[in-house]
Amino acid sequence: MKLQEFIVRRLILLIPVIMGVSIFTFAIAQIIPADPAAALCGEKCGVMGSNGLTAYESNVIRLGLDKPVWQQYLIYVTNLLDGNWGESVTFHRPVIEKLKDAAPITLEMSFLSLAMGFPMGISLGIFSAVWQDKLFDQFVRFVAIAFVSLPIFWLAMMFQYILGTQVGICDPITQALPLVPDTDGGCFPIYGRHDPTYTFPDTGTGFHLIDSWIVDEPTKFNPLTNQYEVSMSHSDMFFDTLKHLFLPCFTLAIASTGGLLRYMRASLLEVMNEDYVRTARAKGISETRVILVHAVRNALVPIVTILGFSIGGAIGGAVLTETIFAFPGMGKTAVDAIVYLDFSMIMGVTLVTAIIFLLSNLLVDISYAIVDPRVRLE
Amino acid sequence: MSDFIIDFIVYSVLLLVLIFTIGIIYDRIRGKKWSDSSEDREEGLNRFIQGWRQRIYDLRKSWKIFRRSALAIIGLMLIITVSTISIFADDIAVEHPYRNLQDTEDLWWIDNEPRREAPFSEACDWHEQRIDIFGIKTKGYSQYVTAVSDPVRDENGSLTPFPLEIIEIKFMEDELGYELNNSLIVRHNETTFFVTDDALNVSSSSIYLTFEFQNEDMHHWWLPDGHDVCIMGTTHTGQDLFSKILYGSRVSLKIGITVAFLTVALGTIIGSISGYYGGIIDEVIMRMTDVFFAVPGLILAMAFVAALSGTTSLTMAMSSVVFLLLLFLFISLRGVISELVTGEGTDSNIITKLQTELRGLDKELQLLSKNEQKSILPLSYLTLQVSLLLFRARKILFGFIVTLFFFFSWHGGGIWPTGIGMELEKSLILVIMIFLFILITVFDKNISEGVPKKLIFDRASESFEFGNPYRFLALRTILIFVSVVLLIFVTGSSESDFILIQDFDRLWKIQAALILTGWPGYARLIRGQVLYIREMTFVEAAKSVGAPDGRIMFRHILPSAWAPLLVAFTLDIGGTILSASGLSFIGLGAEPGTSEWGILVADGRRFFPGSWWLVTFPGLAILVTTLGFNLLGDGLRDIVDPKNKR
Repeated sequence: MKLQEFIVRRLILLIPVIMGVSIFTFAIAQIIPADPAAALCGEKCGVMGSNGLTAYESNVIRLGLDKPVWQQYLIYVTNLLDGNWGESVTFHRPVIEKLKDAAPITLEMSFLSLAMGFPMGISLGIFSAVWQDKLFDQFVRFVAIAFVSLPIFWLAMMFQYILGTQVGICDPITQALPLVPDTDGGCFPIYGRHDPTYTFPDTGTGFHLIDSWIVDEPTKFNPLTNQYEVSMSHSDMFFDTLKHLFLPCFTLAIASTGGLLRYMRASLLEVMNEDYVRTARAKGISETRVILVHAVRNALVPIVTILGFSIGGAIGGAVLTETIFAFPGMGKTAVDAIVYLDFSMIMGVTLVTAIIFLLSNLLVDISYAIVDPRVRLE
Repeated sequence: MSDFIIDFIVYSVLLLVLIFTIGIIYDRIRGKKWSDSSEDREEGLNRFIQGWRQRIYDLRKSWKIFRRSALAIIGLMLIITVSTISIFADDIAVEHPYRNLQDTEDLWWIDNEPRREAPFSEACDWHEQRIDIFGIKTKGYSQYVTAVSDPVRDENGSLTPFPLEIIEIKFMEDELGYELNNSLIVRHNETTFFVTDDALNVSSSSIYLTFEFQNEDMHHWWLPDGHDVCIMGTTHTGQDLFSKILYGSRVSLKIGITVAFLTVALGTIIGSISGYYGGIIDEVIMRMTDVFFAVPGLILAMAFVAALSGTTSLTMAMSSVVFLLLLFLFISLRGVISELVTGEGTDSNIITKLQTELRGLDKELQLLSKNEQKSILPLSYLTLQVSLLLFRARKILFGFIVTLFFFFSWHGGGIWPTGIGMELEKSLILVIMIFLFILITVFDKNISEGVPKKLIFDRASESFEFGNPYRFLALRTILIFVSVVLLIFVTGSSESDFILIQDFDRLWKIQAALILTGWPGYARLIRGQVLYIREMTFVEAAKSVGAPDGRIMFRHILPSAWAPLLVAFTLDIGGTILSASGLSFIGLGAEPGTSEWGILVADGRRFFPGSWWLVTFPGLAILVTTLGFNLLGDGLRDIVDPKNKR
């Protein structure tokens, strides 16, 4: 099977799953006790309109709530395709707009956390497999299980406490502003996406790490020179964003390291028993070269699939870290939406996370098919 | 907890005595003597010993493999510690919750003990009391005031304070929080203050007095002096954090184990259906799991919690789920049951056999005169007719019995009319349970082996032969017995600590959401196992002999697939505790103020960097428990791993 054919097939297989997710979100919206028609008009539900119907009744007709369920589902799907994802009661704006703002935040956090966690997990896994059953291996295995068992929210707050509020660990000049009362500030800021002293221009992609290089630099009026001056340069903005992203991403990275480490260890141990590794050893190649060139490269191939799942885990974990670090991402949005039973927002978030997860898995599968052509044959 | 153990023992002894009395009386009626079955008894004893020897040998082998891993041992120790703590929380904790009369949740009284005190702080022995100066002023003269605690809810549900023994007055403040002169109120004797005349000139209407009191109950006897008070500090509502964490272990373990257990049950059933039948059923179920896997777990669980927000009670929903599970079990086992009842063949065989017998009788009847017909009819003809009817309707009968048992046992769900007393209900449940127990024993192959193959009642009477008690000591029978006692206990008493399905409790939304989120993983796991085992020769052999689907599934395939299931189950308990505390943390689970670890962290977060202990210790508790289960699961994986079977 050619690669293009494989990709097309995988794309076609994606459609029923996305449809299933849309049925699922629709079903949840049906079960949620909130009345969407009443939520839209609020206190004005009893007001008579010009057409002789109350605001509530016209809402019911407009949303199609008087129709049978399957017709409602069809309306829901056509609306989804039209880009009309409903109105969020919590945020007082269309769901799709809010999601457009929130999704890059979560994605940025998840990808950065994977970028941190992947090298950690892989390198620890390699050492653990190379020194199998030695003391270091035992220790690393314990660490892997401990990382999986750590409650993310607790870990995040411990980092906030140790790296965010303790004095003396870091250089006092570089330490962040004391945002929390009773403390003197620590190495890293513990709330928000950027320093509260300036506003980040929202004209870019939403990924602040990229935006900081492409948006206009924020300016500030200087009364001495009587003109606007650049308050934050591009690199300042970039490093400020990175600094704010560090703690949440590091937390998520630790949570994903455990799984990656275990898989890497198992995968490498399996590869080390293969014939080609023995051949390489027999040829007299140095052990380091055997491991790094012959074994690790092959062991990494199945790890690629684990990455896809790690993205899902990171997005799920982002719910907790976003709540703690006050990032207005999808996780925080979902939490707020559920508290107010904002069903259209819940539907939106579920659908978008599912699509992101499926697409990233698709990408992973395609790259796997490129790396290992045997996969395409199945 | 200790009540539970006592009740459990009482219930099982009662049930045992009942069963054995019936058996012995029945033996007497039939004229059987104890000495008649001495050979049988000896044989039974030998088999019993042999069976247990084998089991102990297997266990020792597993233990040898398990012991090799230090990590697994650590995990086991952690779990044993946490469960011991949760069992003896009443004895270890220094502060205790009270039981709400309406529901079964532990509630904590908000008291005026010093709030958010650091660990080992002396202030834990202090107490703040409001003294009403205005009341004294209106009377016009100074008077004595008794030092009392905050009101405590007693057994009747009324609030009463109890007197305290004062050691030293620390300080006093007026309503606005300004400190007042220490001489306004003096300590009179061990339990009373004297309000001096100067105090009457204070402009505020009340004085808040803080004093140290004799607080031996709040000290841990197992710690040295000076370090024995509030070893983990106090919460923002003034309770001892250590005690709350101890009680939290009960909540977390309960959630973890019930959710993991129900998830395994659901996942196993769905997965085995999917794997065994294949085809379109398999396709539909697998696409469903795809959908569940497409949404990250925590967000999916949140969506489920949101969907459940309108439901106030889970009784009906849960009852239908459990009912469906039971029904499924009975329908799948019908092959096994019919085979056991009649000894051989499948359903159609039995029916044709009965029908031919009936036809033979019909022919005989036609040959006879009417008077002779009448004399024969009642006996053999009717018996056969009834047994045929019973056999045909057995599915419905089973369904009926199960439903009956089910709705009888349900308490407080509003299904049972309120006029009927608890005792009657309990005894009815007992009778039904015994009936069910008899049915189960009758259909237990181990017990009924070698019995003449006749109809149901013959079998029942044979299995009630109590000359050889050893035959009842097979592991499976004991397990069935214990589970029956547990069921009676769990469903029959509303005061029980161990109510698993009675409206779950306040955390049921999380539990339900986690079950609904978790089953696809197990379904896939079991499906894979079933697909693998289905192709093995012993399954083919069973099929060629004509064993029904249910029998192959439950007797041949699932027993071979338990190993990865056990590992997944252990790991899932840890995962469930983590996700449940995460959901509680974002405010979707337990009510604020309950002693759930996630909620404790969430409550402490408001005062976080200042009062670090409010967050650190509950989180550590979650970490330790989860770590224990994960380490144990890892160790079990080694045992189960075929590479280690040497």
